[in-house]
Amino acid sequence: MRIQHGAALSLLAISALVIAACGGPAAAPSATVSATASATQAASPSAAGVAKATPGQSVKMMLLPKFLGILPFTQANKGATEAEAELKNGTTHAFVGPTADNSVQGQIEFMTNASTQGYKVVMISNNAGDQIAPAAQAAQAAGVKIVAWDSPIPSAKGESLFVAQVDFNETGKVMADMAINLMGAGGGKFAILSASPDAANQNAWIKALNDALKDPKYAKLQLVDTVYGNDQSEKSYTQAQALVAKYPDLKVIMAPTTVGIAAAAKAMQDGKLCDKVKVSGLGLPSEMVSYTLNGCAPQFALWSFVDLGYLTYYASYLLATGAIKGADGEQFEAGRMGTFKITKDPTRSDGLRVLMGPFKLYDKNNVEAEAK
Amino acid sequence: MRQRARQSRSPLAPELFRRLRSWEGLLLGVLAVIVVVTAAAVPGYLHPQNQINLLELSIEKAIVALALSFVIVSGEIDLSIASVMGLAAVLVAWLRQQGVPVEVGIVAALAAGTLCGLFNGYWVAIVGLPSLAVTLAGLIGYRGVALLLVEDRSIGGFPDWFNRLGQQPLVGPFPLALIVFAALVVIATVLLQFSGFGRYVYVVGSSREVARFSGVRVPRVKMAVFAMSGLTAAFAGVLLAARLGAVRGSTAEGFELDIITMVLLGGVSIFGGSGSMAGVILSILVILNLRNGLALANATGNTQAGVIGALLILSVLVPNLIAAARARAVRSARVEAGRRSLPSAK
Repeated sequence: MRIQHGAALSLLAISALVIAACGGPAAAPSATVSATASATQAASPSAAGVAKATPGQSVKMMLLPKFLGILPFTQANKGATEAEAELKNGTTHAFVGPTADNSVQGQIEFMTNASTQGYKVVMISNNAGDQIAPAAQAAQAAGVKIVAWDSPIPSAKGESLFVAQVDFNETGKVMADMAINLMGAGGGKFAILSASPDAANQNAWIKALNDALKDPKYAKLQLVDTVYGNDQSEKSYTQAQALVAKYPDLKVIMAPTTVGIAAAAKAMQDGKLCDKVKVSGLGLPSEMVSYTLNGCAPQFALWSFVDLGYLTYYASYLLATGAIKGADGEQFEAGRMGTFKITKDPTRSDGLRVLMGPFKLYDKNNVEAEAK
Repeated sequence: MRQRARQSRSPLAPELFRRLRSWEGLLLGVLAVIVVVTAAAVPGYLHPQNQINLLELSIEKAIVALALSFVIVSGEIDLSIASVMGLAAVLVAWLRQQGVPVEVGIVAALAAGTLCGLFNGYWVAIVGLPSLAVTLAGLIGYRGVALLLVEDRSIGGFPDWFNRLGQQPLVGPFPLALIVFAALVVIATVLLQFSGFGRYVYVVGSSREVARFSGVRVPRVKMAVFAMSGLTAAFAGVLLAARLGAVRGSTAEGFELDIITMVLLGGVSIFGGSGSMAGVILSILVILNLRNGLALANATGNTQAGVIGALLILSVLVPNLIAAARARAVRSARVEAGRRSLPSAK
């Protein structure tokens, strides 16, 4: 009878592992092959010193967003998949991530397991601040290249390269400009609704906005608070409501996160507050179109996450195949997007950056076309 | 009790066989299956560094599970453990921000954790409130204090030695937390299984009345297990802060469920009085290896949670179903015995 006990539990354990094994990467054995094998086939830099990729090599890559389940990251994966097809990478990349409520722990876990799993590159949108650095450094020591995109490792420890969507200092100015556009010359009070307190990109943008506000041009803008919705719609929604309750004369909620801006716009719409409080920040046209047309969020900005995923994939592939080393001044070609240059990151003292850009501003004139 | 499996009829049946048929033996078997299947399916799983990684990623929970076992064996529950972990981590970071050295902050955090435990214990042991309600209040209250102190912000910037202890190997490839865990495994096993205090904990958990009439000071034992739980949770919280290098008000949020799972899957009865430290340790290894295997195969966090949840349900269900089936079997065997001379052994 005891045996039945065991049989039931073992059965479950086995089935769990079988599921796991089936879902796992099929090319696992090849993962143990050293990276140097592919590095020797490095593409020869072309005449102008612009590195070009040699398609058809097999590089096991992981695309690790802050968490799964929101549109921008799905779009980034679309771009990565597009680049993968062009580069004819023999190993399909994994698009994996934690849940939003377990983002920090989850990202550390993925990073820690990456070398065991035989990944050659982890492409990460970091949501764990410098908490990811020890795991990233350990992965690097084991031969994994760490390419950050969207959100870097603040100290750059354990990071080879950061593919920046836009210039982070410019983000501050763009947000300040949008705030003044919405408030008019008279200015007034506004608050920031951010994602999570460990998101390096968010923190850099908030700092950049604070720096931008020192410009006399924005003297009448008064930043009264910064709150966090953790990129969860519900929490962002209640945080937006709380801001309005706390600051009755608040004029703008600035949310540099696609989850936050949509939740805040919905909160203002539901509370019939859109005449008083405008929402702005970084948003996806498809998610914002109704709020832009009804005046709750008349103006916002973003860049293409598809392009960001595409460019990140190219840079990572080039790095892993040895075509670029990840050094200041190197140039490389990224398919349809053209040539890019690696430079020192002006917003992080020890980081290297590839700058994508540009910002695109959306309002009622162009949001519908983009939302399709 | 589960461990008291019916003695085999053969006089030659060795002690080992009886042990293997126990819950612990079962977990050992499950663990072996998981290890063999994962090792075959996932290259790199058996690599020593991966084995260290899989422990290190959840070591704080494992440490708290050891202390929580005492609480559950004593017939109570402590839902506030993860909030105490968070509060302790936050205290170290917040005090440092106020200019207090980390060394002092750690002591303060441990003291606060012990106080939280004693506070829980007071309401349960002295006043006699149900621990489920008391520690649920603790779960909310202690987390609330942590959130009040740091609001929604992330505090990092600990001194290097503190981060190093949490993140770098200390002896050979082993980080401090793993060494501490190994030591605590020994201490907890001796304390629960081989000490007078451990026997009291079992007696209190089996029957409060029996314990009282046989001279066990029930409130004192309960205060002690809650204080241990609080102190250990605070210590684990400090370790977590060191491993992560930064702390938020929500640090360790939701950990209580994982920790309770470790204890219950280990065969500790939620009603108290039974279970063993060996079972809890095996259950920790089962869960961590299963998680790691699933993670290496890129199963999502939700899948991992689902598998472990199913395992827990079975661990609660199966023994009860078997007990019910056996009761029926015994009844029918008695009836059969009238007709047949000997009931089958199996």
